[in-house]
Amino acid sequence: MSRFLSRRSLLAASAGLALWPAAGRAFGDASRFVPAMARHRGRWDARDSGLRRLSWELQRRTSVDVIPEARPVALDSPQLFRSPFLYLGGDGGLPALTDAEVGNLRRFLTYGGFLLADANDGSNGSGFDADFRREMARVLPRSRLQPLSDDHVVFKSFYLLDGAPGRLLTHPRLSTLQLSGRAAVIYSQNDLAGAWSRDEGGSWAFDVTPGGERQRELAFRMGINLCMYALCLDYKDDAVHLEHIMSKRR
Amino acid sequence: MGEATFNAWKLVSLSPLPPWVLGLLLLGVAVGAWFAMLGVRKEAVRWRRWVLWTLRGIAAWLVVFLVVEPGIRDLQVARTRSRVAVLVDRSGSMGFPGSPGGPTRTEEVAEAIRSLQPRMEAQSDRFAFELLGFDPEVSPISPEALSTPATGRRTDLMSALRAVRAGGGNRMLSGVLLFSDGADHGALAEGAVGGARAALVDLGVPVNTVVVGGGALEDLAIERVRVDDFAFVRNSLSIDVELRGVGFEGQTVPVTLSREGQVVATRNATIGREADGPTTVTFTFTPDQTGRFVYTVAVPVFPQEAVRENNTRAFTLKVIRDRVRVLHVVGRPSWDERFLRGLLEQDANVDLVSFYILRTLADESNVINPERELSLIPFPMDEIFRQKLATFDVVILQNFGYASRDLSISAYEPDLVDYVKGGGSLIFIGGDAVLGAGEGRYPRLQEVLPVEPAGPPAEEPFVARLTEAGARHPVTSVATGQASSEAVWAALPPIPGANRTRLRSGATALLEHPGQKIDGKPLPIVAVWEVERGRVLTLATDGAWAWAFTATADGSPSRAYDRFVGNALRWLVRDPDLTTLNVLADPASVEPGGRIGAQVTVRDASYQPAAGANVRVELVDVTNGSVLGAQTGTTGEDGEVRVEFPPAEPGAYKLLAKAERGGQPLGEGEDAVAVRAVGPELADASVRPQLLREIAEVTGGRAQVLSQGVTLDVPLLEPPIVEVGRGEDRPLWDQPWALFLLVLVLGSEWFLRRRFGWI
Repeated sequence: MSRFLSRRSLLAASAGLALWPAAGRAFGDASRFVPAMARHRGRWDARDSGLRRLSWELQRRTSVDVIPEARPVALDSPQLFRSPFLYLGGDGGLPALTDAEVGNLRRFLTYGGFLLADANDGSNGSGFDADFRREMARVLPRSRLQPLSDDHVVFKSFYLLDGAPGRLLTHPRLSTLQLSGRAAVIYSQNDLAGAWSRDEGGSWAFDVTPGGERQRELAFRMGINLCMYALCLDYKDDAVHLEHIMSKRR
Repeated sequence: MGEATFNAWKLVSLSPLPPWVLGLLLLGVAVGAWFAMLGVRKEAVRWRRWVLWTLRGIAAWLVVFLVVEPGIRDLQVARTRSRVAVLVDRSGSMGFPGSPGGPTRTEEVAEAIRSLQPRMEAQSDRFAFELLGFDPEVSPISPEALSTPATGRRTDLMSALRAVRAGGGNRMLSGVLLFSDGADHGALAEGAVGGARAALVDLGVPVNTVVVGGGALEDLAIERVRVDDFAFVRNSLSIDVELRGVGFEGQTVPVTLSREGQVVATRNATIGREADGPTTVTFTFTPDQTGRFVYTVAVPVFPQEAVRENNTRAFTLKVIRDRVRVLHVVGRPSWDERFLRGLLEQDANVDLVSFYILRTLADESNVINPERELSLIPFPMDEIFRQKLATFDVVILQNFGYASRDLSISAYEPDLVDYVKGGGSLIFIGGDAVLGAGEGRYPRLQEVLPVEPAGPPAEEPFVARLTEAGARHPVTSVATGQASSEAVWAALPPIPGANRTRLRSGATALLEHPGQKIDGKPLPIVAVWEVERGRVLTLATDGAWAWAFTATADGSPSRAYDRFVGNALRWLVRDPDLTTLNVLADPASVEPGGRIGAQVTVRDASYQPAAGANVRVELVDVTNGSVLGAQTGTTGEDGEVRVEFPPAEPGAYKLLAKAERGGQPLGEGEDAVAVRAVGPELADASVRPQLLREIAEVTGGRAQVLSQGVTLDVPLLEPPIVEVGRGEDRPLWDQPWALFLLVLVLGSEWFLRRRFGWI
């Protein structure tokens, strides 16, 4: 029994069943939202349950049609172009990418893909942070990671947010890398997916500090906003929304 | 040899010396005289001094007389005859009665000139009266021809006056006697002001005007329609109609604006006093379709009117777009929506308005205060589908299918149907919520869709295949040439599935499923058709984003999706560049009696000029759809050909063109042309005495009114006088008395000086 149905797969299947009776579903899996998880030579899968949970929350809270899983994908694979949403996380160092990976990731970002990078180790200037910045300089040498402004549409793409906490809150601001006016890369050093992760027993995998469960909820909201941004771009910056949103902010 | 008869003389110098020598001599005499005067100033006795001065002065004058050698020249002179132009307005408005029920203005002029003939003959020794007509070209006219109907289509008084001034060879123009009603449509249309006034002064001759007509003719006329040459579709447009109603002051009349037989609007106008100028009626409306259309403004015809033809006026209006205004309504965020939005946002020619359903009532957002914690706004269905719908060029409904009352748009289906039939464009994109899948049901909107649901979706990935029609259609022409387009479509990645739909009769499938069939025919993936004045495109899948993103996986960016969407928008909004046949009415508004021209440009499927194409153009009356005639032609190397139709009755017409080459159709097109009932000349029967008075005043002439009698006692420049024979000189200086007088004066002076003790 355990060989065919582990607790993890049982939970995943349960979540999937809960999602199945939704109002409708896209043709096949290809058109549904499914986060891809970049496979690299470091610790890339430390937060896979977090991504599944985020997908589940996205399905529960919004009208987006979701596949509640995180699909590992090699950065040099054509499969990268089957989902425009890519999560790149790492706990510790990110080994240097191959030239093929760099080229494929560059095309992915250039032609419309969205990369959510997440320092699972909460590093700053070392570990994942240093390596990620080094590799992004190879992927998009003409662009630089910049702090994401507080009025960026990602803070209002679904929830109205003022910050971007994750499991940690050591770096209040996100970073971004812009391509043609679009945030092609958004980078968190607060281990966003850590706040979303559950262990095999169904409990939260990590404590969230310093804000506890309220901070975890904000991390989910940030994750949903990031998914919405990937799906709708700057829709919430349209003129028809601005006045309404500004009145809510006041 | 008879003696010459001299009738004039003049004093001349007969000296053979050149003038400058004479000048020097005279100067010498003057200097000598001056010193001579100084010589006697010491004479103490005053009278002696004066006597000497007088004698020396007389002597000096006598010397001058002898040096200059004066003489009398007898002359034979005559006064030349200069021209006086009797200029008669021969424009169409001169055919109006001079007074109600009376003879025409032209006939009144003819009678007046007949009565002036004796007086002209009486002055024939000084003036040559030239009878000229202008219509608007100036040409001689006989007194008999003056009574024939005037037919000129335009009055241009200034051009006529300039032509008269410049004509006549060397003979001087002494003045002009201008007979006109003053209904000018040239430089003096706005009065003798500014440059027109200066031009009148430059004529340099008095223009004596005679106002013809002026009786209170009853006439209601559309004097002018003020409208721009083009307007923007779905933007408010104003048209000012100027009415003049002599004899209709204070009456209220309906004014109707129609577009090719369909009434657009009606306004009531109360005609003001003639002295207050025209009465203006303003129509404001919103054109809902691009293209060129014939609009007609009309007022009723009353029995007592002098002119009936000026109660309607037709004009053409070209309706264009500025930016394509797109409404994008999406059932739920998806990759299909994301890549379509990304493309539309980047297009500078697209003005995008989006509404996406991000959350339904069934979704749990985990918030306590949705107002404060969510950025969502209510879905303004009533506003976008009812109030603002007509302001959009294209509406995109993307996988939008909700049965719940809060999100269902079934109540707005009639509005969408009316929008499409009225000239709007719709892109209906499938997915798991519509076209036979999910909750979306559109029983009314289905009426305007080119496909209908035909069962559960086909959920196997497939590569869409270009149909035969799609290979030629501009929407799916994503590369140059049919073969290239087919290759591009075949190379695109598979899409995950498709709605199972059936192509409706009259619709065209551009892309189809390579395997799945319905009723024995492949499932249509992209289908188009036209519904009344609107166009609709359906895309029966939610996986087209693969053409945009997945297609780049192999490293080579594909522009197929971009071109497909761009082509679709341009086809939907009838971009002229996306048609293989373009027909242009030239001119767009034809004056009465003018020929109707059509310039046709034909391109082949690859949008290259189609040389040698057979073109057929039909002239169709838009009011009843009858074909009045057809012309054919063959295009040249540039793919163009011009055909012309003989003059047609006033009204609104369509030019319908078709082209084919080698039996293959190359396209169809149409344009609108208006044949006006009356030209500007007959649009207004009123007389403008004020203008004629101003002309006379500015040029130094005299203004008269024909009905009060005309006289030739008017300001005219005097004819010049010239010598007509050889003169004869008679010397004066060589008379003996002159020499004797000089000797006598000088002798007396010498004698007196001796007596006075000077010598």
